[in-house]
Amino acid sequence: MEIIEKIKNNKSDDNLTEIQKICLHKLQSSPLPNPKSELWRLSNKSKLSTFLDYSVNEKDSKFDIPYPKNSQSNIRLIIGENCQIKLIEKNYSIQQLSEDELQKYIKEQISFFKQNENWSDLLNLSLSCKNNILGLKINGSKIPPIEILSHASINSLNAKTLVIFLEKNCDVELLQVNLGKENSSLSQSTFFCLKENSSVNHGVVSYGENRSNLLNSLNVIQQKNSAYNLGSLHFKFNYARFEISIKQSAGNAKTNIKGMQITKKDEQISTYTKIEFNGPNGFLDQINKSLADDKSHAIFEGSIIVPKIAQRTDASQLSRNLLLSNSAQIDTKPQLEIIADDVKCKHGATISQLNEEELFYMRTRGITLTEASKLQLSSYFQEIISFIPISKDKWDLLDKILNEN
Amino acid sequence: MVNENLVKDAVKEPYKYGFVTDIETEKIEKGLNEDIIKLISQKKEEPKFLLDFRLKAFKKWQKMKEPDWAALGYKKIDYQDIIYYSAPKQKEKISSLDEVDPKLLETFDKLGIPLTEQKKLTNVAVDAVFDSVSIATTFREELAEHGVIFCSISEAVKNHADLIEKYLGTVVPASDNYFAALNSAVFSDGSFVYIPKGVTCPMDLSSYFRINSGDSGQFERTLIIAEESSSVSYLEGCTAPMFDTNTLHAAVVELIALDDASIKYSTVQNWYAGDEEGIGGIFNFVTKRGKCLGKRSKISWSQVETGSAITWKYPSCLLLGEESVGEFYSVALTNNLQQADTGTKMIHIGPKTKSTIVSKGISAGNSKNSYRGLVKMGTKATGSRNYSQCDSMLIGDQASANTFPYIKSQQANSEIEHEASTCRISEDQLFYLQSRGIEFEEAVSMMVSGFCRDVFNQLPMEFAAEADKLLALKLEGSVG
Repeated sequence: MEIIEKIKNNKSDDNLTEIQKICLHKLQSSPLPNPKSELWRLSNKSKLSTFLDYSVNEKDSKFDIPYPKNSQSNIRLIIGENCQIKLIEKNYSIQQLSEDELQKYIKEQISFFKQNENWSDLLNLSLSCKNNILGLKINGSKIPPIEILSHASINSLNAKTLVIFLEKNCDVELLQVNLGKENSSLSQSTFFCLKENSSVNHGVVSYGENRSNLLNSLNVIQQKNSAYNLGSLHFKFNYARFEISIKQSAGNAKTNIKGMQITKKDEQISTYTKIEFNGPNGFLDQINKSLADDKSHAIFEGSIIVPKIAQRTDASQLSRNLLLSNSAQIDTKPQLEIIADDVKCKHGATISQLNEEELFYMRTRGITLTEASKLQLSSYFQEIISFIPISKDKWDLLDKILNEN
Repeated sequence: MVNENLVKDAVKEPYKYGFVTDIETEKIEKGLNEDIIKLISQKKEEPKFLLDFRLKAFKKWQKMKEPDWAALGYKKIDYQDIIYYSAPKQKEKISSLDEVDPKLLETFDKLGIPLTEQKKLTNVAVDAVFDSVSIATTFREELAEHGVIFCSISEAVKNHADLIEKYLGTVVPASDNYFAALNSAVFSDGSFVYIPKGVTCPMDLSSYFRINSGDSGQFERTLIIAEESSSVSYLEGCTAPMFDTNTLHAAVVELIALDDASIKYSTVQNWYAGDEEGIGGIFNFVTKRGKCLGKRSKISWSQVETGSAITWKYPSCLLLGEESVGEFYSVALTNNLQQADTGTKMIHIGPKTKSTIVSKGISAGNSKNSYRGLVKMGTKATGSRNYSQCDSMLIGDQASANTFPYIKSQQANSEIEHEASTCRISEDQLFYLQSRGIEFEEAVSMMVSGFCRDVFNQLPMEFAAEADKLLALKLEGSVG
């Protein structure tokens, strides 16, 4: 675990940014997350150490984007490559955040960080160099869909950071794609700040190649009357963690989350979500689906926190899981922590296999077992995939998952 | 709108079991060490295997750390400041109930537990445990006719040592957890039940636990064995006097069900909960576990938890036998500053095992009520099923309700369903009832009772009526 050694022996380097120094300092006393803590206890220790074994690479090697930009109407940004952007149109503007704004915001976030809960962010920010941090301020409406790509290079660990401010009344579609390369680790942290009345359809699609690893963390702050819709999909990672933290800072906001993770072989993919309501009239509708096959392990932990101030919160969370092999494992833990009394909160969880009656029905009509299972799976996936913006045609997600070996 | 004043003015029923019986007791000195354990064992004239069991448990306990994962906050327990053995002084041997100290009989009468057999109204055999010692067991002869053994565990150690040696600690090993280890080292008394092959126990069996002294902890141990094709229904009730200090109660209950056997274990727990400021009250740390060893065996836990300042309790089922069934029905009510972290564990090991969990939590006042449960499907549990439902009701905006279900599956051919909801008392329903002339408090109590219906239906008759009343009583003055 080369990186941990480096953190331990860190003597403030002049090349490091202030944020890197702060985070390194925070990590120094205990460089690794507590394996007994609720958030890390199921995490595969040896896989985490493989993640950390690669040496840090600040400069990316050139990579082929799987799908070239084929439409003029999309804006495509690659973190670490073309970080320069300034678009000022009639209806909207997309600009880079100034150095000061970026620093101020990240520092403020760090002040709320906890060692175990935000370990992935601390690691990310202590590794992310200036070139690999992209800060955007988006304003206006009728904004063309935006694609933001992050990727790791072979045999190395890359850290990429994205900070986005959505200004008041802004409305945007944004797809984030994290691409893992063979034998690589990617640490991706995203900070999202939705100002009043703004709304976003956010897609997060992460997929890797052989033995790629990912630590993906997403921190969202929603101001009043904002709407945050998240569709996410994670698959083909030796080890991946997706940590979502959403805070409705003054309530009165809407959050919709549809996420999915697919594990095969001996992969481990986990999703941790924490939704906090810090004001009244909050709304949450969340569904998380997992599919575990072969010897893999899928984990979901979701917590909903409703303090006294968050009266009239309406929150629901559903965890649906398909376990397709006897050697695979699924852990799920949806949890509610509620103090306000005038609330409607519910959660549900199921673990099952493909519906045999449906399979039988299709087979009696001459569809082969393989085809019938594929049909069933595609309907299981479709609910999530259709929620991910601008992915429908271009990224062929459904096809990728179904024909994945 | 709910009229808050109306509620606050409502009559507050004091804890009616809070009296202390003035009786001469024999206590040993405070503190815990090997000598104390040897002394307890010696006082109880125990065989060597039991003393070894205790000492081994004590060694393990010394190496363990008090668990801190539960959503509970309480002041640190000083384990050296507790008396580990306290017993009412009485004649050496009691041949009949007439020789029991009348004060003791009076105490149990006051609690509504008839010990004198002439007074038997209900068809329930009772084992009454006062502080650390079993006082009396009723209906022995009738039970003996059927081959049922129902006695205190100390007696069982003397008369049925083979069974104790065979089964004690097989479901909850001494090293299981901190409180189980402590109990294994110092347990004083409790009940022992043995139902022979093919026998359906002719009456409900019941234990009544009463803590009387303020400075002694209560560590009882219950062991129930149901042989092939037998069945038994067991009830447990608990009360304690009001003291300003916190009393520790760390019990262990072990159930074993062999082929086709069924055990139904019902609890109404009404230990003293402390006053409105949270002073006093029982710290209740209990390990209850049942092992469905045999094929088609069944263990059913039902509990109504209304007392204790702190409740830490997870009655569980290990489903080993093919087609065995585990059930858990629970109502947990917390008020004032009570804290409860309770739930169950259903560990599916054998094939075609089934489990059902229905948990209802009601939190009022400034209390904290958490459901914590584990459902686990092992690799061999093909064709197994679990259904869990846990609902919480919040009364007032100071109480908190948490749900922490842990679900783990390693078996593709099994199904797990879990659902949970949190709500408050519906104002529409309240309004409807009130507009039909039903008093506010009565309406609330009706709705709470309706909310808990699924669980009350599972309780034995006598308990169900009592539980309903108990909840209404506990909630009085807290609704708003």
